[in-house]
Amino acid sequence: MIKTENLLKRVPIADGELEILKGIDLEIKGSETVAIVGASGSGKSTLLGLLAGLDEASAGKVWVDGVELGGLDEDARARLRADKVGFVFQSFQLLPSLTALENVMLPLELRGEADAEPLAANFLRRVGLADRVTHYPRQLSGGEQQRVAIARAFAAQPMILFADEPTGNLDTETGAHIADLLFEINREQGTTLVLVTHEQRLAARCDRRLRLHGGELVGSD
Amino acid sequence: MTAFRMLARDWRGGELGVLLAALVIAVAIVAGISAFTSRLQNSLEQESHQFLAADRVLSSSSDFDPAWQQRASSMGLQLARTLSFPSMVYAGEADMYLAAVKAVSAAYPLRGDLVKSAQPFGELDRVSRGPVRGEVWMDSRLFPLLEVEIGDRVTIGKATFEVTAAVRSEPDQSSSFFGFGPRVLMHYEDIPATAVVQPGSRVEYRLLLAGSEVELEKYVEWLEPQLAGGQRLLDVQNSQQNIGQALQRAEQFLLLAGSLGVVLAGIAIALAARRFSERHYDYVAIMKSLGATSATINRLYGSSLLLLGGSATVLGCSLGWAMQASFFSLFAPALPITPGDSGLRPYLVGAATAMVCLLSFAWPPLQRLGKVSPLRVLRRDMPEEGRHTLIDCGIGLAAITLLMLWYSADWKLTLAVLAGLLSSASLAAVCALLLLRGGRLAGMRAGSIWRLALAGLQRRSGANTLQVVIFSMAIMLLLILALVRTSLIEEWQMQLPEGTPNHFLINIAPQEVNQVRESLTRRAVLSQPLYPMVRGRITQVNGAALGRSDDPEESRRERETNLTWSAELPAGNELVAGEWWDGETTEALVSIEEGMAERMQIAVGDSVTYKIGSRELQVTVSSIRELDWESMQPNFFMVFPPAALQGFPATFMTSFHLDSGDKQFLNQFIRQFPTVTVVEMDVVINQVRAIISQVSAAIELVLVVILVAGALVLIAGVQASVDSRLYESAILRALGARRQLILGGLVIEFAALGFFAGLLATIGAEVSVSILQTQVLDMDYTPHPLLWLVGPVVGVLIIGVLGVWNCRQVVSSPPLAVLREL
Repeated sequence: MIKTENLLKRVPIADGELEILKGIDLEIKGSETVAIVGASGSGKSTLLGLLAGLDEASAGKVWVDGVELGGLDEDARARLRADKVGFVFQSFQLLPSLTALENVMLPLELRGEADAEPLAANFLRRVGLADRVTHYPRQLSGGEQQRVAIARAFAAQPMILFADEPTGNLDTETGAHIADLLFEINREQGTTLVLVTHEQRLAARCDRRLRLHGGELVGSD
Repeated sequence: MTAFRMLARDWRGGELGVLLAALVIAVAIVAGISAFTSRLQNSLEQESHQFLAADRVLSSSSDFDPAWQQRASSMGLQLARTLSFPSMVYAGEADMYLAAVKAVSAAYPLRGDLVKSAQPFGELDRVSRGPVRGEVWMDSRLFPLLEVEIGDRVTIGKATFEVTAAVRSEPDQSSSFFGFGPRVLMHYEDIPATAVVQPGSRVEYRLLLAGSEVELEKYVEWLEPQLAGGQRLLDVQNSQQNIGQALQRAEQFLLLAGSLGVVLAGIAIALAARRFSERHYDYVAIMKSLGATSATINRLYGSSLLLLGGSATVLGCSLGWAMQASFFSLFAPALPITPGDSGLRPYLVGAATAMVCLLSFAWPPLQRLGKVSPLRVLRRDMPEEGRHTLIDCGIGLAAITLLMLWYSADWKLTLAVLAGLLSSASLAAVCALLLLRGGRLAGMRAGSIWRLALAGLQRRSGANTLQVVIFSMAIMLLLILALVRTSLIEEWQMQLPEGTPNHFLINIAPQEVNQVRESLTRRAVLSQPLYPMVRGRITQVNGAALGRSDDPEESRRERETNLTWSAELPAGNELVAGEWWDGETTEALVSIEEGMAERMQIAVGDSVTYKIGSRELQVTVSSIRELDWESMQPNFFMVFPPAALQGFPATFMTSFHLDSGDKQFLNQFIRQFPTVTVVEMDVVINQVRAIISQVSAAIELVLVVILVAGALVLIAGVQASVDSRLYESAILRALGARRQLILGGLVIEFAALGFFAGLLATIGAEVSVSILQTQVLDMDYTPHPLLWLVGPVVGVLIIGVLGVWNCRQVVSSPPLAVLREL
């Protein structure tokens, strides 16, 4: 489903360049759940951005569902994301001017789904927010906002779901509930899950863990 | 997601307020001012055509080719004819008087009204036609002179007429009344019966034309090549220069104000669009991460903008219509004329303005949203897309130039305003940076509130420089408008203050001078001295004889004019060259009016020879004077020292103010001094005053609208910095800063911005007003010391209040909510 070959990411700094990822080779199979773990600054989020096609690699290759991302421009990558990719972010990334329902409808509308509204309402029900559809993000708690984000991610029925510290902004109890929900729906839909996290307990629930250190893949278990 | 739904959501989220308001104001200003000026221009043009009694007038000393009238009729133009000539008017055997007779055809006047009264000096009555055949209307002062009353008969040449009314004013009353007697108005077809017009008689034929401008232009084009010497075509501009100039200035002012209004609205739109765009970076990044392409984003925001433009056009046009309609309905009863129709054009111009504003001010920042990186969803600290301030400014400037050129069709005005704006903006940018740096250094030594405020100014020095430039531009434009408006209106009103002389007395014999003065002083109406008047003709300049052509186009020719003497420089006159003489001098000197000296190519030191009666007088030009021809004061082209004109036959003249209720005084005065000529100018003066008050009111209204646009710029400018202030204050408050400290810091920061902006605005306004008044509006310039106090104080107050008001949430929102939301 996802494959990288000698993936490199460099960014310019005041005195030259900083290499954030130093030649990553990995392969993630369909329906597999994989956690990318490592200390702050180890390059986890950068790797996630490259795998999801949000950023361009300085060198090396990334394949998503057999398509090499390096050959695509930003618009083509956007189309690929619309068709195959979903996201859950640490800071939820809901649009504040849209209601919970409208936030979930957004990716469906972008894909041109005719019945976006009932589908979105269905997923909000699935995450337990049937009575909050007309609420704006500022009227929801952190856990509720993340549930809306999970509904949004799965509503478009992606092949791959990227989750960037999905429980990072939540207390332990809420975080645990959110993680349950995430893995539950993921299992139901058979989605490939790529998760970036600090949390050992969350990482432990994945099929596989990739350890990053100083921009290098130092282990996989 | 449809654009409509996105707009609706953004509207609910409060994102669109300033952008929509700025667009609506831009459209309303343009549509409103354009509708207003075109209605006003239509009506003022009608009004000014009344001064000609027609749209065009052909004047000739001989009768016209009948083919000219046929041609005009066949082109669908309206026609009227007049014939003016001096003639003796008799009443019975003993009484006779030299009158200025004017015979008018049935269609006269084509524009404007005649004013008559049933009794001499009686109640005024406006009528659209002159006397019928067999009747005459006479100047009020002729009644006592001829000792006739309404219903009596008078004789002109071989024909006798019944006097049926007193004629009080004619729309085309010429201002050159000297040398003519009182008016008698008769029917054109009665001329043959009088047998007074013979070949060689001193007469003026006039052919009056009215109709559509297109047909008139065609006719004039056909006619002009056929005109002989002594035949002239008159239009509004060259017939009534005083009114023409006032109208032209009013029009220029309104255009200037309108253009500046659009500049202000354009700035507000650009600022609001930039803020809207910056606040949407994260939205776009999320949408892109969810699969939206650049094209989708551009389509979405592009159609949102179109929808926004459409709504703003409808709202702005309605507001513009309402503004001008309410103005006219409020002021209509006071206006001397009916406002014309504006047509659809102003609203089309408004719609086009909305589109140009959207494309050139709002679209550049929004278009960059398509380029936002989706990676922002993971890394919010990613640098924002390049702001391209210079490119945006370039596009905005090009749009403003085109719009201004389009509205004003006057490249000189456009360039003057643009040059002023550009040079002040660059100067303001440099000064603002320096002032902000200086402020920071001073703040290092100050207390904590000051340090916080001045550090804030310094930290955002780039953004603050831009804000100071924008604020100073907005304040400068408002100051310019206020100053130009004030001096424009003051200058007009000064020309015709209450108590302006509205009656002239001429032909006062030297032996009557004391009695006339005494009679006027007794009535307490005399405000002017009695000026001596000697008729004389320039025959030579520096020994070279001048031509005797009667053609007024010939600049250097013999001309008969009124000469006067005076020991002192007459009030309202200003020397532009040479020196004024000592009153006792016995030297043969003369002081000449500037325009005449130019036309006749006479300079200080030249020798000029006059023929006065049968005698010659040679004098040296000692000075050149500038006169205020728009004032209603007696003015003279040539002034001599008293000794120089000793021994030449003189009559005297003066002017005075008489209220309309005191007109009966004239009857008594004319009986006492039958040879003195009274010229009534009160009707004309009242007309002029009515126009001035109308135009002044219009200018006031326009200024109010521009003020709203200016306030919007200030609000948009302040809002642009609200987010970063919110964030900083949230951190400070989280660290334990008290509300008072943050509020105090805000007040000082905005007051400092306001002070710098006000100071720079004052400098810019003073310079621009001096250029505008002297170069474009053709007015005198005087510095405005009060401005140097008002400008900075206004800056501090306006920016301080608006800034703190718009940032009030900075101290009222809970810090946690702010930190989470941002």
